[in-house]
Amino acid sequence: MGDFSWTSQSPLQKALVPGVHGAGSVPGVELTEIRNILLVQVMARRGNAAAAARIAKKLFGIEPPSRPGAVFGKGVALVWSGPDQFLVFAPQGDGSLMERIADAFAGIASLSDQSDGRCLIRISGARAAQAMAKFLSLDLDDGVFPVGAAATTSLDHTAINIWREADAAGEIPVYNLAVFTSFADSLYRVIADSSLEYGLRSSWPVAD
Amino acid sequence: MSGYIESQPLGRTSAKDDAAGNTQATGGTQSHRLRAGGLIDRQAPLGFTFDGKAMTGYAGDTLASALVANGVKLVARSFKYHRPRGIMTAGSEEPSALVEMRTGARREPNTRATTQELYDGLVANSQNRWPSLRRDFMAVNSLLSPIFVAGFYYKTFMWPAKFWEKIYEPMIRRAAGLGKSAEQPDPDHYDKAWAHCDVLVVGAGPTGLSAALAAGRTGARVIVVEEDTQLGGRLLGDGGEIDGMQAGEWVRRAETELEALPNVRVMKRTLLFGVYDGGTYGALERVNDHVPVPGPHQVRQRLWRIVARRSVVAAGSIERPIVFPGNDRPGVMMASAVRTYVNRFAALPGRQVALFTNNDDGWRTVEAIRRAGGEVSAVVDSRGQVPVDYQSVVKASGLRVLSGCVSDVKGGVDGVRGVVVTGADGRRQEVAADCLAVSGGWNPNVGLSCFHRGRPAWRDDIAAFVPGDCPPGMRMVGAAEGTFALGECLRDGHAAGVSAAVDCGFAEDAGSAAEAGDEGYAISPLWQVQAKGKAFVDFQHDVTASDVTLAQREGYESVEHLKRYTTLGMATDQGKTSNINGLAIMAATTGRSIPETGTTIYRSPYLPVAIGAFAGHNRDENFHAWRLAPSHYWAAARGAVFVDVGLWKRAQWYPQPGETDWLQSVSREVTTVRNGVGFCDVSTLGKVDVRGADAGTFLDRVYINAFSSLAVGKARYGLMLREDGIVMDDGTTSRLAEDHYFMTTTTAKAGPVMQHLEFCRQVLWPELDVQLSSATDQWAQFSIAGPRTRELLQALCDPAEDLSNEGFPFMGAREVKLRGGIKARLFRISFSGEMAFEISVPARFGNAMAENLMIAGKPFGVVPYGTEALSVMRIEKGHVAGPELNGTTTADDLGLGKMMSKKKDFIGRIMAGREALAAPDRQVVVGIKPLDRHRRLRSGAHVVPKGEKPGPDTDHGYVTSVCFSPTLNQWLGLGLVTRGRERFGEIVRIYDPLRSEDYEAEICSPVFYDPEGVRQRG
Repeated sequence: MGDFSWTSQSPLQKALVPGVHGAGSVPGVELTEIRNILLVQVMARRGNAAAAARIAKKLFGIEPPSRPGAVFGKGVALVWSGPDQFLVFAPQGDGSLMERIADAFAGIASLSDQSDGRCLIRISGARAAQAMAKFLSLDLDDGVFPVGAAATTSLDHTAINIWREADAAGEIPVYNLAVFTSFADSLYRVIADSSLEYGLRSSWPVAD
Repeated sequence: MSGYIESQPLGRTSAKDDAAGNTQATGGTQSHRLRAGGLIDRQAPLGFTFDGKAMTGYAGDTLASALVANGVKLVARSFKYHRPRGIMTAGSEEPSALVEMRTGARREPNTRATTQELYDGLVANSQNRWPSLRRDFMAVNSLLSPIFVAGFYYKTFMWPAKFWEKIYEPMIRRAAGLGKSAEQPDPDHYDKAWAHCDVLVVGAGPTGLSAALAAGRTGARVIVVEEDTQLGGRLLGDGGEIDGMQAGEWVRRAETELEALPNVRVMKRTLLFGVYDGGTYGALERVNDHVPVPGPHQVRQRLWRIVARRSVVAAGSIERPIVFPGNDRPGVMMASAVRTYVNRFAALPGRQVALFTNNDDGWRTVEAIRRAGGEVSAVVDSRGQVPVDYQSVVKASGLRVLSGCVSDVKGGVDGVRGVVVTGADGRRQEVAADCLAVSGGWNPNVGLSCFHRGRPAWRDDIAAFVPGDCPPGMRMVGAAEGTFALGECLRDGHAAGVSAAVDCGFAEDAGSAAEAGDEGYAISPLWQVQAKGKAFVDFQHDVTASDVTLAQREGYESVEHLKRYTTLGMATDQGKTSNINGLAIMAATTGRSIPETGTTIYRSPYLPVAIGAFAGHNRDENFHAWRLAPSHYWAAARGAVFVDVGLWKRAQWYPQPGETDWLQSVSREVTTVRNGVGFCDVSTLGKVDVRGADAGTFLDRVYINAFSSLAVGKARYGLMLREDGIVMDDGTTSRLAEDHYFMTTTTAKAGPVMQHLEFCRQVLWPELDVQLSSATDQWAQFSIAGPRTRELLQALCDPAEDLSNEGFPFMGAREVKLRGGIKARLFRISFSGEMAFEISVPARFGNAMAENLMIAGKPFGVVPYGTEALSVMRIEKGHVAGPELNGTTTADDLGLGKMMSKKKDFIGRIMAGREALAAPDRQVVVGIKPLDRHRRLRSGAHVVPKGEKPGPDTDHGYVTSVCFSPTLNQWLGLGLVTRGRERFGEIVRIYDPLRSEDYEAEICSPVFYDPEGVRQRG
């Protein structure tokens, strides 16, 4: 028998219909599913938190956050996910990064590949914070949740990670939401329904 | 003079006047509309109908003000006696003018006409009347009123008791209630949102605006919520002078300043209805209640949860009625409401107005009526003297002032025709009037202060309750706190705004408070006029003064009893206009003071809030979040029938053409697996990566059996207990590396188990080197079962993989390469009792895996199977699942007692040894087979010894799981039966009173299929 083809699918393959939805001609909310991501949970072995941080610095050029927050390096974001833990987000690329990470942290940190366990949804736009106020209890005010802020919170009673990256042009805030894959279809519906009155543009560029 | 008061004398409605260019509305129906003034837009006429009659109003009107402008007095029938009622107030405290808004699916009963904004095309109808508002047959209740007294239902419908459910209750339900709700699902959308601030200001009257300006200027984040469509509060109705300018101008400037502050958000049409823990407040924004239908993608209402560090509540006060006979006639209106209709809405409630007051504030009404061109036929002041400020007015204008009380109101469905005044000397005289303005003083609106069980405190000088202990972080100011002078309200509001901002760490210059005069407010309380006739206390629930005294006579003296016995204050208005009068009458009847009598308190919501607003997005198919398995869309494309399992949508079975019944499909799936091969998406099972040097030790303590001894590359079935010794969950855990275990849990317990493990790791044994992460969503995992499983897998896997019994023995677990270049984890475990494997690949390949399993298995007749077939096979094999792991069973009850290690400690070990948990007569898992092979067994049926009468003493257990076994061609079940394992072969009675079934069955081993386990090891 010949080989099988292994076509991959995204968690929002069906739910996300690229294009402009809802009211108005200028969408107030931009939603993008970042497909083909690498997401690794790095959990320092007991007593090895400092060593894990050093390795991260060597590997990514940035120190992982030691309290809730996100730091950004070249093509990578390190997001706090608990004491002595952080998430590594990067494009999947050719798959070699995962091997490099695994080699570097061997014996120092336990890794859990969550690339397929989470769906990364990026929300931006002039009305993004207004739409997000409908499904997040977080205070997204600039003074409270500035660029680099991160939180573990809930969306429709479902745990998610959220962090804010550098503003887009025109001081437009950009938020990243990592949601559990199995919930993505449902949560997309919540996000979209919350955004329609402001106009929603949905798309799914591949991670770069 | 006051800012908003620019009224002109009453206009005439002739076409000639219209042609003459005055501002009368087109159509000329607005007989009581003033020619000028008011905060309405005469350039924007709006058509509406009430009870089918077409009328017009203007933008800025409420339904009530438009009805007043059209000279409509009668708008409702009362709850119990069906008495004609009119408009009493101009605010949300309205107890009488409740109407049915809109029609069809949007019909909304009991809407307060006083806060419903007018829009073009508005359709409103009166309610609780038949056949019409004017001729209401149920008004006969009023004639029968001697029997409809407090406690009527309790007294009347007592006997015979059996009549209650079938006759009395349906009858009462038909007669009770006011409007009728829509009968179709609400077509509108609602949503919920969060907002955050330092200082929340509730109410945008003079006090609230002053507080908002002060706090806003410091840089604090401020949210102002205002129930009304406009800022200003009482200033809209009463005007005044602030900072040397007309109040209206001051409000406009304040609004402009607030809008310019980026840290301030003003939310109009937003009602603060609740105060919750941690500085969380509930508010309802009526986003689109003022349009016929919300625009596309717009919501009708939005429920806000506002998190505030401090709140300044300037909720104002509510004018109090006086209890006298006829005080509910259409045309009897609160004096402040009369002023609001005249000044704000340029609508005159009556051309000949009498005023009945016990305080100075009521006297303001005289000026308002006169400036609007109306006649004040008399002022009746119960205090017997004219206030100093008004003595010159009385003298100059010859105003008729009567010392005494209104003791009756003449009139009918068309409203007030005159009032009877009884003087202090007992002399009666009649005064002509088509409207009676009443002021019994002002009740601070203490409602929100009570939501954390604070009790209001009595103040004699204003004869009213003021806030007691407020919820944490809240402060009440202004009229809500019993301060009525305008200047003082502005100063207090400012101080409260500053103080709240300082509490939040802001100390910038807050500017100075606006200034205004401090007019006096003197009152001599008058609660009830003693005279013959029905005098209403609670207008919405039709509770009269005599009901209160009757309750007292019958022993219901406590305010809590009074409330429940008479239903005083229990209508949707929560007694905003009635509670204090009711208390005062009770106090007088019992000879106690009002503070001695006490008060009931208020609860959220402050006003009724639609359930739809609380539900928001979460209705219909969005009722709760859902989870999709990795092969969901593949299954959907194959026509799978899905079932909700917790939040998951799982394929229940896959019907094939020609199959007409679920049992056909399920039996086919089982038979195919037992004889060939099938697969099932089992990704919903919880998966946990357990890593670290101490992972084995950790699992030894969590599970009842040992895992540190498990070899790398092997899987083992594990059972974990709760601390109390009861089984928590089970599953298969594999050792993938020395320091890496891969645990699986049941679908239902995936979350709780993860929580439990984290608790163990973080709290119980922080010294262990263990790291946990949930991997449930990372993997698409499929069970492949049946005698031809190995052949299928050989087609799928790289030819180098040895899947023979030797190369991959039962309970083996390792990574394999698949054809086409991806890797998978393969576990040789079986839930079905067949030769079986579970295979897992990253979730992105879920649909591809299902497709490839079909391709690889095609030569062997592979089928996908759903949760029903899965369940059938596990019952045939005697495997326990949710119905047996039900939070009452021990390991031994499940037949797994021998798994409990004696060599190590584990969670639940000690408590599992408790006498009752180790008792020999516990109900344990057994198999159950009906004697009649065609008899359908049903779960939940009781197991009773043969020949015994079913009852608590003879109840020996029950059936937990059932299935039709196509393999054995009969219905089978598992059950929990007392001493069950000693009773194999016993014939018992299966008793099912719920379904009226009673038959015999045999208790047997729960393992119906392949008890030696030959097949799964083959």
